[in-house]
Amino acid sequence: MILAILITFFAAGAAPLVASRAGRRTGWILSLVPAGLFAYFATWIPAIQGGEIVRVAVDWVPQFGVEFAFVLDGLSLLFALLITGLGTAILAYAGAYLEGNPDIGRFYVSLIAFMGAMLGVVLADDLIAMFVFWELTSITSYLLIGFKHEKAYARKSALQALLVTGGGGLALLAGVILLASAGGTTSITGLLAAETPITEHALYLPAFILIAIGAFTKSAQFPFHFWLPNAMAAPTPVSAFLHSATMVKAGVYLLARLDPLLGGTAAWTWSLSVVGAITMLVGAIAAVRHTDLKNVLAYSTITALGTLVVLIGLSYPAALKAAIVFLIVHSLYKSVLFLVAGSVDHETGTRDVLALGGLRSKMPYSFGAALLAGLSMAGLPPLFGFVGKELTYKAKLGVEGIGWMLPSVAVIANALTVIAAAILVIRPFFGRYNSPKRAHEAPFAMWIGPVIIGGAGLVLGIVPGILAGIVAPAVDAVAGEPVPIKLALWYGLNTALLLSVITVLLGAFGAWKMDALRMGLQHFDALRRAGPEAVYDRLMNGLPRLAEWQTSFFQGGSLRTYLAATITTLVALVGGTYLWQVGIVVPWSAPDLMPIEIVVTGIVAVSALAVTVVRSRLVAVTALGVVGVGVALLFVLFSAPDLAMTQFLVEILIVVIVLLVMQHLPDEVNRTSLGRRIRDAGIAVGAGAVVTVLLLSVGQTPVSRHLSDFFGETAVPGGFGRNVVNVILVDFRALDTLGEIAVIAIAALGVFVLVKMNAPLDGLTRPAHPSVVLQTGTRLLMSVLLLASLFMLWRGHNEPGGGFIGGLVAAAALVLYTIAYRQAGTERMLRVAPRVLIGSGLAVALASGLFAVMAGKTYLTGLWAGIETGTGVLKLGTPLLFDVGVFLTVVGVVMTMVLALERISTAPPPLMDGEGEGTQEPGTQGERIRPPSRRAPTAPETSEKLPAS
Amino acid sequence: MDLSQAFSTMAADLPAIFSMSVVTVAGLVMILQESLSENDRPIPWIGVGALAVAVVWELVHLGDPAGTAFFESIRTGGFASYINLIVLGSGIVTIILSVPYLDHIKHAYGEVYAMIMFATVGMLMLGTANSLVSIFVGLETMSVCLYVLTGLIREDEGSVESALKYFLLGAFSTGFFLYGIALMYGATGTMYLPEMQGAVPEGSIMFWAGVALFLIGFLFKVSAAPFHMWTPDVYQGAPTPLTGYMSTASKAAAFASLILVLFYALPDERWSLVLSAVALVTMIIGNVLAVSQDNVKRMLAYSSIAHAGYVLVALAAGTTEAYAGAMFYLLIYAIMNLGAFGVMAMLEWDGKEGRVQSLDSLAGIGHEKPLLGVAMGVFMFSLTGFPPLGGFMGKYAVFAPAVDAGLTWLVLIGVLMSAISAYYYLRVVVVFWLADAEDTPEAQAASRSFVFAGIPVKATIALCAVALVVLGVYSGGLLEMTFGFFEEGMMAATP
Repeated sequence: MILAILITFFAAGAAPLVASRAGRRTGWILSLVPAGLFAYFATWIPAIQGGEIVRVAVDWVPQFGVEFAFVLDGLSLLFALLITGLGTAILAYAGAYLEGNPDIGRFYVSLIAFMGAMLGVVLADDLIAMFVFWELTSITSYLLIGFKHEKAYARKSALQALLVTGGGGLALLAGVILLASAGGTTSITGLLAAETPITEHALYLPAFILIAIGAFTKSAQFPFHFWLPNAMAAPTPVSAFLHSATMVKAGVYLLARLDPLLGGTAAWTWSLSVVGAITMLVGAIAAVRHTDLKNVLAYSTITALGTLVVLIGLSYPAALKAAIVFLIVHSLYKSVLFLVAGSVDHETGTRDVLALGGLRSKMPYSFGAALLAGLSMAGLPPLFGFVGKELTYKAKLGVEGIGWMLPSVAVIANALTVIAAAILVIRPFFGRYNSPKRAHEAPFAMWIGPVIIGGAGLVLGIVPGILAGIVAPAVDAVAGEPVPIKLALWYGLNTALLLSVITVLLGAFGAWKMDALRMGLQHFDALRRAGPEAVYDRLMNGLPRLAEWQTSFFQGGSLRTYLAATITTLVALVGGTYLWQVGIVVPWSAPDLMPIEIVVTGIVAVSALAVTVVRSRLVAVTALGVVGVGVALLFVLFSAPDLAMTQFLVEILIVVIVLLVMQHLPDEVNRTSLGRRIRDAGIAVGAGAVVTVLLLSVGQTPVSRHLSDFFGETAVPGGFGRNVVNVILVDFRALDTLGEIAVIAIAALGVFVLVKMNAPLDGLTRPAHPSVVLQTGTRLLMSVLLLASLFMLWRGHNEPGGGFIGGLVAAAALVLYTIAYRQAGTERMLRVAPRVLIGSGLAVALASGLFAVMAGKTYLTGLWAGIETGTGVLKLGTPLLFDVGVFLTVVGVVMTMVLALERISTAPPPLMDGEGEGTQEPGTQGERIRPPSRRAPTAPETSEKLPAS
Repeated sequence: MDLSQAFSTMAADLPAIFSMSVVTVAGLVMILQESLSENDRPIPWIGVGALAVAVVWELVHLGDPAGTAFFESIRTGGFASYINLIVLGSGIVTIILSVPYLDHIKHAYGEVYAMIMFATVGMLMLGTANSLVSIFVGLETMSVCLYVLTGLIREDEGSVESALKYFLLGAFSTGFFLYGIALMYGATGTMYLPEMQGAVPEGSIMFWAGVALFLIGFLFKVSAAPFHMWTPDVYQGAPTPLTGYMSTASKAAAFASLILVLFYALPDERWSLVLSAVALVTMIIGNVLAVSQDNVKRMLAYSSIAHAGYVLVALAAGTTEAYAGAMFYLLIYAIMNLGAFGVMAMLEWDGKEGRVQSLDSLAGIGHEKPLLGVAMGVFMFSLTGFPPLGGFMGKYAVFAPAVDAGLTWLVLIGVLMSAISAYYYLRVVVVFWLADAEDTPEAQAASRSFVFAGIPVKATIALCAVALVVLGVYSGGLLEMTFGFFEEGMMAATP
């Protein structure tokens, strides 16, 4: 069984090869595959008839208990025979139908792959595996409908079919997941064997609804039926195979398969029979309305599918038996009519019955097949269609409680079907000869299949008993229990027969008055504008509109909006949680403040406010700096000198860097509206309030002091340093520090990369000649600052200071030097590129840890050695070395960034006294700067447009 | 002092950072090669070679038991190797795709590849982090490199704008993140994830506030709604192969890290509700907004938001099966998205990193470039979650455990959203294959000077597509392995 499916997919893969080699015989050669499979499945008939059920399984996703399991019972055997049998005829037919089409290989890939997928659907015993094949049939159907992709209509129809059936498939997936979670397994056999019925489970209703939606979309039930007529854009063999005989029956198959599991409830019976009945009527009326052969066929297929759904919905043995028989009947006659319609189209160039007539003498074999099939469709004896219709009527009459409702609907629908059959057969083949081009019989491959299948309808009608061996096990499988089956053409005089007679009479009358009927129905065309397809179209148009509206709402592209949204969410979430958990409580306790603290806090608050309201960018940056300095002062007040020093230095450097960049920013004209400013202010105040409350409540809970106590106690004995912060940084958590300096190193490298590969900024400023006073002052200050930085580094282990602070001081000195002597001066003084400083810093830090390894300790453990000097013991240790690495890295990072900024933001300086080398092009000092790739270098004329700062 | 024993202590930890070291060293070598030699051609291939060595190493160690290294800073073992493989593999694919792309846009500098390598190092650290500091260091190393890579093409305003947005918002979220870490550390006194669980004082607002801020930082990085806003702008603005990298490897690493955090430090049902809400909003916003996008890169950006939502569904479920499913999904997602962005990179012609290039201008391109067209079809179907492709298995792996965990309503929304996603994914397939260039004015106007896709690129894209088909049909072994990562014995390895 698994092999059968694999062979099919393999054949699909090989199809283009066959198509390119075999030429005209492609169809015949490829049809051997389904023919062989048909024979294979036929050999199973006796065993299945004997009550055997074959199950094979391969593990697939054992973690979720999902397996590739296949089962062959009556139902799946019936479907497998239909698929392979009809597949044989259709593959042969398509070879002639599409002869000469360059894409025939592609066509066969999809068609045969579809066949494999369809076999998979009907054979699968695992819900997930079945779903997989189910969606595969949707995809292949999509590819086949869109085969004539040069036509816009075909493209639209293909997508529509895929969205409707594929979307329904996802509903099915959801339903299947629910079902599996209710039943505890994804195996259909396992679910059927369950002790407690699923119908009593809480998840039954949602699972059923979702599965029903999946089945309804696939089987074109109202209100999802509209995709099927549009799917007629596919080549006719495809319509015959997928859209009447097999794929659209997958939904019916699914319902039949799950009937023992889900059926029998009021929800099942009512939803299926109501939806099915509406579908029958809608399809039957629309079928009569149309004149295109394939449209008539499509709508009458919808009628048949509705009938099948009604019968399964009734779900008692007689109805199920009728369903199975009618399913066979319909597949046989409908595929013939489709194929003949294809032949007519192929030979005459039109499918409009109004343009056709009298073809019976020109296309005798096709006519014969069509006649047999048409009579079967009309349900006339002695054809198989009659048997099917009788059983259907009997089943519908057997329902208690609904009375005459269902049979009446069935009679109307069937009478209309009789008319449709008349449209399909009488119009084109009888009457005066009429054809747009000279018609003659279709090729052998295109009429032999219809004739055989049409003939089968006649044989089965006369001796329906020979089918009992296939029908009985199938009905058993659907009913979940053995059902006695007797099939006969003649059941004697009964109500069903009477209904049949009424149907045929009504139908004949309607066919006689067909044109009047069609004119009458045209008045209802306006209904289509409000029908489900219109809803679909509106949805398809509305979805992008909704999305566009949402986009403009949520995604305007403005950074300000993004930030506002982010902060609002934060405020709402955290604030909301706080209110929910704690209530409207401000955890206020009168703080014990010193006057100086109040003053500093006040300065910070005023400065922060100033940042938001001042108009000048320069003032705003300065105010921001004041905020930082204020915070640093608070650190000082709370005895955290290391933090304070770092904060000071970082603030200073940031202000300097921002000022360096600021001259390139555009003028400050962008003022926002008052409303926005008020909104932003609200958000800001909200965020501030939430954070304040949060911090206050954090402050109320006693902070565990064990961390600070631990570090305080162990700093001197463990790290030989009295500066706990520094000991933590370079000894206890040196590995973290290493990681952090690596991050800033990479950040610097990133800036460097960005600058290196890009052209200078627009509007270069020609720097003013540096003042001699500044230069002289800087020289003096430089040495002091550098010495101070080294001192900071050295004493860091015991007093406030350390590598970070020392590095920042040194960097600040170098930045000052850069302002005074420009980039060239600094580079000359440093002698090495700042990147080298970063690299060596990292290397020193890394290497300092190795000493510990040499000594048999873990990496980065601090080692100390005392050296006797005249004045005392000089303690040297690897943490000090590590700190030197930090120092170098920090200097390197800051200088890399500042110099890179300088380089792109300033034009080559004019000749300075005694500094002629400074006129070099900015890229030639050690670095290769490539010419900008896209834009020509900025012309010097533009360089004066911004004032030099 | 016994030196040999000392080295063996050190050596015992070295394998844990083998990949990181190899990639770092290779990055440095690449920079040296750039500055010392005029020949830039071998630079990307040095990177590919190093990453490949690391891949082999991680493959060998895939079955190792879980453990920690370097003072419990990072995790080792199967989980670590698995996420490292995703990151390293994404790195290889990205570099291969970048070579012709960066040549095409004339930005093929050695340092760019080095930045990719350093970003990879950051991700390797992030995905295996066992302490808050490692998470932070990994996250920042990665982010800084990505900021730079986003703004690579500074002559182009769009690229710069997106980089700036990314940087500012990213820095903002880093602030949250760091604040969160500080509060968590303050409340528990430990940086190590496994120790945190037991150290939370009862009713500590400090801890919960910290976790909230910490999670916001994470949600920003994985572009979960409502912290997703940077994603479309940045993905659209960045050079296309690097966008693919950003959307896959960085998300995989961040999610892996988040899973470790949730698994070790926060096994608390209260987070399930929060994560469910975030997953819900993320799935809806990602899918609905993707519908209206005409630009494929932007559409894929929203799609990546939607997929983050799917992963969050699993995280909200919080069972070991769900975490395993999420890990599996990350792999599938990486393959799909790398491939999709790769194809788009090769089909770019607008000279603006595909930012102004509309989908319609590629009408009928499938017939012109069948390999890319077929591969794109596979990626789109897989992203939709159509069986039998990997995307379906991935979705099943995250949704099924969520149903078991009682999040049926969330899964139903997820499946419904997948149905919507079919609309925009399949539109790509329709335009690629079924639309005709003659009917589409935009395709007529297109200059179509595509990137030249050589053998390595084609092979890479084809490999991604094939992998999706294979994983869709049979993924039992892989899924089983991800289950193994979260078994009692494996995760209990906390010294």
